[in-house]
Amino acid sequence: MKEDAIFQQRRARINELRYKNERMSHRERALMSVKHQEPDRVPIDNWMTPEIQKRTIEYFGCEDYDELLAFLGVDFRNNYGPSYVGQSFKKYPDGTVEDLWGVRRKTVVYGRGTDHEGTYSEVAESPLEPMATVEEIEQYERWASPDWWEYSKVKQDCAVFHPQYCVINVGDRLDRTAQLKPMMYLRGVQQTFVDLALNPSIVEAVRDHIIKYFVEYDHRVFGAAGGEIDIFMMGDDIGGQTGPLLSLDMWRRYFKKGFKTYIDIAHQYGIPVMYHTCGDVKQFIPEFIECGLDILQSLQPKATNMDIKQLKKEFGKDIAFQGGMDIQHTLPLGTPQDVREMVKYAMDSARQGGGYIICTAHNIQVDTPIENVAALFEAYHQFGAY
Amino acid sequence: MDICKQIEEALVGLSIERVKSLTQTALQDGVAPMEILDRGLVAGLEIIGGKYERQEIFVPELVLAGMAMKEALGLLRPLLERTDIPPIGKVVIGTVEGDVHDVGKNIVSMMLTGAGFRVTDLGIDVSAQKFTDAVREEKPDILALSCLYTPTRLAMKEVIASLQDANLRAQVKVLIGGAPIDQKFCDMIGADGYGADAPAGVRQARSLRAK
Repeated sequence: MKEDAIFQQRRARINELRYKNERMSHRERALMSVKHQEPDRVPIDNWMTPEIQKRTIEYFGCEDYDELLAFLGVDFRNNYGPSYVGQSFKKYPDGTVEDLWGVRRKTVVYGRGTDHEGTYSEVAESPLEPMATVEEIEQYERWASPDWWEYSKVKQDCAVFHPQYCVINVGDRLDRTAQLKPMMYLRGVQQTFVDLALNPSIVEAVRDHIIKYFVEYDHRVFGAAGGEIDIFMMGDDIGGQTGPLLSLDMWRRYFKKGFKTYIDIAHQYGIPVMYHTCGDVKQFIPEFIECGLDILQSLQPKATNMDIKQLKKEFGKDIAFQGGMDIQHTLPLGTPQDVREMVKYAMDSARQGGGYIICTAHNIQVDTPIENVAALFEAYHQFGAY
Repeated sequence: MDICKQIEEALVGLSIERVKSLTQTALQDGVAPMEILDRGLVAGLEIIGGKYERQEIFVPELVLAGMAMKEALGLLRPLLERTDIPPIGKVVIGTVEGDVHDVGKNIVSMMLTGAGFRVTDLGIDVSAQKFTDAVREEKPDILALSCLYTPTRLAMKEVIASLQDANLRAQVKVLIGGAPIDQKFCDMIGADGYGADAPAGVRQARSLRAK
């Protein structure tokens, strides 16, 4: 931690508020909230792009990301799962690289040469897209295998954060437990939508391969973790800005069973489940609850029907929420005062009775002014106390 | 039942084959292509847009509707190109630089085609320079820009600046769309219109064209 006056000054308010509010460990606070009890303050989770991590580290005079998280009072630490020991991913002359599923990916740069430059790993080619029959799908040779991972370090990797922090097994963004997302990588997004409407047998064939992989993989991860995972996170985007991407009927038909299977496995090991989806998924929430989901992430506030006050009122007794902070408009385009008002609104709406973890609805994006990032965390501590 | 009404219903029913065969029949029966377009396809798209807004249908259904419209237009196109029919308009469309998402853009592109527009699709990750060159060369009525990510929407501003630098801004309407786009952002960067979803984008394109 750098001790120059400017950094001390920037850190002072958060330090002061934390000293005033905090009476328990991060882990106790987080787990109480997940159990719908009121801890000392609302637990804080954090999602940032690497570029914003770097900028925030510099702004507060921290040495690295771990130090930043500790200073900001973030209650959760991520576990990315086992180590990959499978065959090396094939590299192509055009710069694309195969991923776990044999999908060719490329690094795409946005905002090149500007102050908001960043990168994302994107699908360059979907290997199953040209296939027209289930037979062809079945002959695909690059289905992922749970044998490609070395699980023995998971326990130690999680335990290192205990007893202080609450450990979320988040997996990797691109390999997180899911059904629809890997299907979109493998088949292409548009073709997947066409399949959902016209080719049920292809949807089922691809889906079954994906589920088979994750069922075995998750069993091995949870088994290896030996009780050190506090929360299991899966993620499969089924919501868009103005409504779900697919109908509830379609989801019931193709994905509900797998969704419940994943939850049941984690529960067998006593691990609560957090599910990430962007967008408007309000009409799915009763089904999520029926399947036993513990925490819904990410409550994208600018999507239709995702007002946190309303969701808390309708579903807050039966499910916990994580998220609610807008990264599309308020954080990149608003003022620090707009950010404070957003935090206050969410806290006032969802704090009562526990069951709320505050976080941005996705990674804080690189177009966000640092003043707004600072205002966000300050407001978390200002308005989060019980 | 009136054949245009049947085309409208087939489109709302998302039957690609039926939309195609009814369009063929209508043409054989001598129905004017503009009538098929307006009272069949565009009328059907209006209903689809409403259903999408009310969350009665979703993205898979929009993709099918787009595919059906594009197929039907393939049959109408040669007739619409006849010189005595006023052109509906020309659109250059693409996903902005740094963004490779194309499903929304593709649905809009198919639906614009289906509504009779001449569409040139520049694809994904398209630079401001490439959009500007296309506006200079193709002289479209509308330039349609798409994005999915929040930071990549700033590339839309670059496109507008590039058009201004090339003295081309006045000759083209800029229509924007994508998840992080709203009216406020549209006003902020000085675009001419935005569509909250694909059918709304087509509606906007038609109204910009009418201005």
